[in-house]
Amino acid sequence: MDMKRDYYEDVQLFKSNVVLFWSAALLLVLFTIPLYTPNYYIYLFNIIMVHIILAVGLNILVGSTGQISLGHAGFFAIGAYGTVLMMTTFQLPFVLAILIAAFIAAFFGFILGLPALRLEGPYLAIVSLGFGLTIMHIIGGMDVFGGRMGVKVPPLDLGIKQLGISWILTTDFQKYYLILITTIIMVVGARNILKTRVGRSFVAIRDSDIAAEVIGVNLTIYKTLAFAVSAFYAGIAGGLFGFVLGFFDPFTFNMILSIIFLVMVVVGGLGTIAGGIMGAALITYLQYDLLKNIAEVPYFGALMVAVSKQWFTVVGLENFSSMAIGLIMIGIIIFEPLGMFGVWIRMKKYWMTWPF
Amino acid sequence: MTLRKKVPFFFVAALAVLTVAGMAQAAMPAGFDDNEIRIGQWGPQTGPAAPWGSVARGSKLLFDIVNEEGGIHGRKIKYFIRDDMYNPAQTVGVVKELVERAGVLAFVGGVGTASGLAVKDYLAENKVIWVGPVGAVDEYVFPAKPYLFAVNTLYADEGSLLAKYVVDKLNTRKIGILYQNDVYGKAGLEGVKQRLAAYKMGLVAEIPVEPTEKDMASQVLRLKNSGAEAVILYVSPTIAVIALKTSATIGFKPQWVSSHTLSDYPLMNKISGGLWEGVITGAVGDIPDSKHPLMVKYREAAKRLAPEERWGVFYYAGIIFADPLVEALKRVGRNLSTDALLKALNSLTGYQTIGPKINWSEKQHQGTDSIMIHKCGPGGSYIKLQDWTANDLAAWKK
Repeated sequence: MDMKRDYYEDVQLFKSNVVLFWSAALLLVLFTIPLYTPNYYIYLFNIIMVHIILAVGLNILVGSTGQISLGHAGFFAIGAYGTVLMMTTFQLPFVLAILIAAFIAAFFGFILGLPALRLEGPYLAIVSLGFGLTIMHIIGGMDVFGGRMGVKVPPLDLGIKQLGISWILTTDFQKYYLILITTIIMVVGARNILKTRVGRSFVAIRDSDIAAEVIGVNLTIYKTLAFAVSAFYAGIAGGLFGFVLGFFDPFTFNMILSIIFLVMVVVGGLGTIAGGIMGAALITYLQYDLLKNIAEVPYFGALMVAVSKQWFTVVGLENFSSMAIGLIMIGIIIFEPLGMFGVWIRMKKYWMTWPF
Repeated sequence: MTLRKKVPFFFVAALAVLTVAGMAQAAMPAGFDDNEIRIGQWGPQTGPAAPWGSVARGSKLLFDIVNEEGGIHGRKIKYFIRDDMYNPAQTVGVVKELVERAGVLAFVGGVGTASGLAVKDYLAENKVIWVGPVGAVDEYVFPAKPYLFAVNTLYADEGSLLAKYVVDKLNTRKIGILYQNDVYGKAGLEGVKQRLAAYKMGLVAEIPVEPTEKDMASQVLRLKNSGAEAVILYVSPTIAVIALKTSATIGFKPQWVSSHTLSDYPLMNKISGGLWEGVITGAVGDIPDSKHPLMVKYREAAKRLAPEERWGVFYYAGIIFADPLVEALKRVGRNLSTDALLKALNSLTGYQTIGPKINWSEKQHQGTDSIMIHKCGPGGSYIKLQDWTANDLAAWKK
């Protein structure tokens, strides 16, 4: 049933009515979530969706094009700072501000893509790592960005101040819808990129850049484009992230964050849209919720408290958070290289033939 | 094809549900009930700033002691520590979780200026009391915020008192300063300058340093060439250690004087390879081996309840930040409410345990302007040079 008869069937957004139905059902659930969920979870959902945008963008670079980036927190920071600066200093409306900020991030992505033409693997990792750290310190050293003390985010006004239209979103609940709609647009956009000529060029570069060049893929254009697109996603995510937080400083965007982003993509599944989404959701949930409350989990919590008393440092159970994420990462690489997406595929196959 | 037409239908349905249901926001859970009072604190337990995480665990010791003694008017304290890894995004997350899911009456301490500024407005909007933020920030207290009560001495007050000590007690006229180029360093600088202006003196060297600097040769050379006999430090631990090591190499031996942020002598002595001995610092708590009866009590309790903890200044700073809250809760009595607690906090005057004397009123939530002055003895031991002294020049009190 997965056989494609023509190109248009491949690029179709909804492959079958079944997919269409479930997509609509999912949307319905997503749009009504705030009605039956406590407020705290809305904040969590907001963070998750911001991370989804970033992870989907990072996956285009890492999973589909086969380039590595340990500096995505840098693009994330450019998006956050750029948006706030555009809104406060230049008095631009939000939508314009976040787009400009994302394009600035994309420009830096393009710049970072240039060394990627010559560098591969660990060497590229070092360059991108350096980029991420540099951005953090440059922003921290400049007073126009609020220096190391950070910046307070202006009210999230969707209107245009100059025309006297004002529509200010204050609660997490209201921001949820803005972020949800943006996430849907970005995810559908990513899917369309990957399904077209550009996406196929990315995949060709990943599989073998020499072969890709031979069949006519311009490496200079497509490698830098992959970085730019990925950075654009990070920029949009960063712009939204600032408003979810309300206040941030340069060190919010540290190296650990870049690594966590990479973990999301690897755990979710390299090179697939669904992988980015699942990885971002799982890792964010673990980091922000489950692992913070691990002591309250029945049975396992008590066990971990005992283990922590016996073996861990004075900090106790908090150590477990980083360990758990590390273990998940190692486990995924050993047992399920396709990540959660691989698990999903297998579940689907199992149910297709069930009960035989 | 028919299903394709149904997509808009789903959107319309979703929107309809939204409009009809409206915003049914659930009420926040209360911060206490008949049996317990819930109090929270965030702080880095893992990650780059983990050494400061001991503050949150120090507060835990105080609450454990209170609970052991039977709680407060029949209610035990349930205390939540949440690791935010020094990341404001996570601070907002854990604070929202505690306020909206667990229900907390108050927060104490809380390491990280960025973290604090990220949650400050949220806490105020939800009428959650916050006592004793770690780190002195003008925005916390000027003008007074109804729900925020500060315990820490302002860096400007401390700088002023340190300069006074250097001039009066050390009889040094040639004073230099090495300060971090941010709010923290500049506040210290301002205090020092204010004091010297009162003496009609000036600084012989006034040298800013970026917190990320790794090479201090030029700065130290400038200090040496200025002829400074005493150098006041408003920097981070790393910068301080690099500065001391560089000075030792070029044979520059001034009297180092530092802010209380570097008053964990055993730690500083270890990372500086013994160079910290002889350094004078401000302090916002008594010395660790003090004979003060409360200090003895807390120290003994720590040995019993938290034997794995090091009895360091940051650890018992957690007690100092939480003490006034416990006292206010005791004064409120059985009829607890946020308003009653606010009233008790606002009327807390002349209250002192092992930290500085706290005075709060409706209009003034900066609790103190006092510091002690300590000196690092051999092996990272503490020598008390000067008892609690208030800053007679404190600008904010006028």
